[in-house]
Amino acid sequence: MRRYAKTLIVVAVLLTLSVLILGFQRIDFIDRGSEDTLLGLSLGLDLQGGSYLVYQAEEIDPVTGEGSVPSEDAMESLKRSIERRVNASGLGLPIIQRMGDNRLLIQLAGVTDIARAESIIGETAQLVFKHRRLEVPRDLDEIDADDIVDVSAQVIPVDEQGRLSTTTDPALLPLPAFPETMFFPETSTATSTATSTPIAMTLSLPLLVVEFTDGGAAKFAEVVDRLSLSFIESITAASDTSFAPAPPSRLDVSVEGETPLRFEVTGLSIAQIGATNRFAFPFPADSVGNQLTELGPAQAMLGVNPSIRFTEIQAQVDEPINLTGDDLARAYPSQQSQSGTPIIVLEFKSRGAQIFGELTAEIAGSLTDAIAIFLDDEELISPRVTTAITAGNAIIQGRDFDVERVRDISLLLESGKLPIPITQVEKRTVDAILGADSLRKSVIAGVIGLGLVVLFMVLYYRLPGLAAALALLIYVILVLAIFKMIPVTLDLSGVAAIILSVGMAVDANILIFERMKEELRAGRTLTSAVNIGFNRAWPAIRDGNVSTLITCGILFWFADQLGASLVQSFSAALAIGVVTSMFSAIVITRTLLRAVASTNVSRKVRLFVPAAGAQLPQQASATAAQRS
Amino acid sequence: MDFAGKRVWFYLLSLSVIVPGVIFLILFWLQPGIDFTGGSEMKLRFADDVKQSDLRVELADQGHPDARVQIAGDLYLIHTKELTEGEKGELVEALKGALSPDGIEDLAFDFVSPVVASETVTAAMWAVLAAVVGIFFYVWWAFRNVPSPFRYGTAAIVALAHDTLIVMGIFAILGQVADVEVNTMFLIALLTVIGYSVNDTIVVFDRVRENVQVYPNRELSDVVNISISESLGRSLNTSLTLLFTLLAMILFGGPTIRAFLLVLVIGVVSGTYSSIGIASQLVVSWEEGDFGRLYRRVSPFGAR
Repeated sequence: MRRYAKTLIVVAVLLTLSVLILGFQRIDFIDRGSEDTLLGLSLGLDLQGGSYLVYQAEEIDPVTGEGSVPSEDAMESLKRSIERRVNASGLGLPIIQRMGDNRLLIQLAGVTDIARAESIIGETAQLVFKHRRLEVPRDLDEIDADDIVDVSAQVIPVDEQGRLSTTTDPALLPLPAFPETMFFPETSTATSTATSTPIAMTLSLPLLVVEFTDGGAAKFAEVVDRLSLSFIESITAASDTSFAPAPPSRLDVSVEGETPLRFEVTGLSIAQIGATNRFAFPFPADSVGNQLTELGPAQAMLGVNPSIRFTEIQAQVDEPINLTGDDLARAYPSQQSQSGTPIIVLEFKSRGAQIFGELTAEIAGSLTDAIAIFLDDEELISPRVTTAITAGNAIIQGRDFDVERVRDISLLLESGKLPIPITQVEKRTVDAILGADSLRKSVIAGVIGLGLVVLFMVLYYRLPGLAAALALLIYVILVLAIFKMIPVTLDLSGVAAIILSVGMAVDANILIFERMKEELRAGRTLTSAVNIGFNRAWPAIRDGNVSTLITCGILFWFADQLGASLVQSFSAALAIGVVTSMFSAIVITRTLLRAVASTNVSRKVRLFVPAAGAQLPQQASATAAQRS
Repeated sequence: MDFAGKRVWFYLLSLSVIVPGVIFLILFWLQPGIDFTGGSEMKLRFADDVKQSDLRVELADQGHPDARVQIAGDLYLIHTKELTEGEKGELVEALKGALSPDGIEDLAFDFVSPVVASETVTAAMWAVLAAVVGIFFYVWWAFRNVPSPFRYGTAAIVALAHDTLIVMGIFAILGQVADVEVNTMFLIALLTVIGYSVNDTIVVFDRVRENVQVYPNRELSDVVNISISESLGRSLNTSLTLLFTLLAMILFGGPTIRAFLLVLVIGVVSGTYSSIGIASQLVVSWEEGDFGRLYRRVSPFGAR
């Protein structure tokens, strides 16, 4: 087998492989390519739109106020925090890279709301510990006897829709709902509960009606709103299975009349009658638990001049205890030594340990107290306290803890713990419209440019020009495939680099052909002219390309110093282009020409040395002749 | 063709292009973009027809009297002091109200802090220096078998400096005339021109290197003439093909890299010219003692 035939096969295999690589948008088994970019290439932000943000982290000494370069660990933890935050925000998949000692590069493709992205990245998440108290009674001192005009038992007519009507005001309002009938309605919106009270609709039950003064009614309405909100929150939480549902806040009502009455109602069980100052409560059951159905006994129970007192039972109260993420030294997932159950370990700093110790001593063993931990106002976890923990090391265990959950919570606890302060030092944002525009125009310009070069080569160098043009097309396919495989991110400067390297590839071919022409004029056979032409052109090609590679290396170093991705992709693209272009000129063109030389075509020398070539300086052929 | 005999004309032609540029460089230097000074830059496309001068006036009214406005195709590049996203939004709205009620496309927004900018400047200087030194030593090494290889290295560097000065001079003039700024992309382009210039010089020198051995008894000026003639076809063809692609990019490519491509076009023309008219001729001048003669002619001390 002839030598060039082997090479031809290698080139053909490489070409097929490259075409396949480019043909399939996404190549799963090597994790390359993408479904939604041109040829699945990895495109720079200036070709698809997006933002490129650089942040600098600086550890500030709390005592001296001097800044210093953060440690490796601190930077890694910072990177993880930001990664988590961006991922959680639904901004898309970020690319986050360390840059130098103290910088982070965040690239977000296709993000339009850059202000939001900046606030998500830049904000330091605030981790706050609070003392949670459950079932806290609070006397509603602000509503006293002076605010109440009258307390009575009444039956209020109900219209067809099951709503209370009033004689003084035709406006209709939802019927008060009885706890028994609607403790867990199907939906959690307040309006829908009006229709879920069939009992009141059919029976005219007596209601406890309290009439307030104007001022009293306003104050009481606020209380009812608060209670209703708590009720809705409680139901919402109940539908979210990851939390044990907290009971809603309730109103403890105690009536001093003929028979003392005391009962609790939720916010949704209290209704304002029309736009009046009257509020209706479901009439409490009697001592045996029977619902009163007649007005008479109800009125009898109240007596002549009953007084009423309200106590709000708050479901939970979170009191700030001045304990924050700054007081936390570490949080990490672990396992209980005996059972192997996943747990979270917290280590407090000295100030934190003290506050935490005092609180845990106070509420140890209590079922109505807990420590609630919030990250950016979002509740993370609210464990109860079993014993006083004064050493500053605590563990959290939970029935539903598994390895994953424990790890997630630990990470979140850590992320709130002052990730080093960061400031934005660089930002590049490109609108997707401009990106798409640039991409489209680059492709058009590239095709036209390449077309012109091919045309020129074929017209000027004839058959070898055709071989070179073919080699050039193969070269472009190879380079793009290499870009996709490495992968190199192709941005505008990368496009420019490819164009330049096409120029270099052409240059190598031109150098060779000019030498070849000299040899042919000197009367050599085509095969030997091809070989000698290549050999003589090689030193110039080598030296020229090496000097370009030197420039590339320096640019790459420069980019590394700066983290300038523009420069980096340019130099990487140019270096790949230069190396591939040498391969294209030396191997592909030569092989193609050798293949041609071995056929009959080779006798038609005019195909190789066009008339235009004859106008070249006479010395050229003279020197070639001397040498031969 | 006798290239070497006309070397004085080559030098004069180069000087006539370089001198005005250098004067502008000395007086005004280049207009540094945000990459080198810090600040913000936005790229806007107006739906209505907006004049550059009107835009400047409006920017001054909005409290940005030192804003610089460049035109890139159908885009305006506006360089201001550092702005936040919010401030930028307000400025764009104000410009829209005053100049382009039909709308503004807010296509890109960049911000560079002074810290990063000053690092870029430092790194840029090192990069250029490193490129020059690296190339000098490589050429010296590559021509180690030719008599006085040091001269070839030096001549290649002078040719490179020549091309750099031409590009920088033209951009210094453009900076004054059209507010054209230089940025990192400009620097990349400049380094690429350096690479190309040397590449081209090496091709010519390669012929000289070969011909010095083929004609050991000929004058260097003859050898250089032969070498230039032999490589002329290649030099022109290579430049032409590169210019084809670059011009296609300028005409059909996006507006954002047009300045970058302009640097390359100037660099390719200058780089091809300098290999023939500067680098090769300097080797001849050195061999024939031109500089000593020049020195003796102008210097009162040399007259003895």
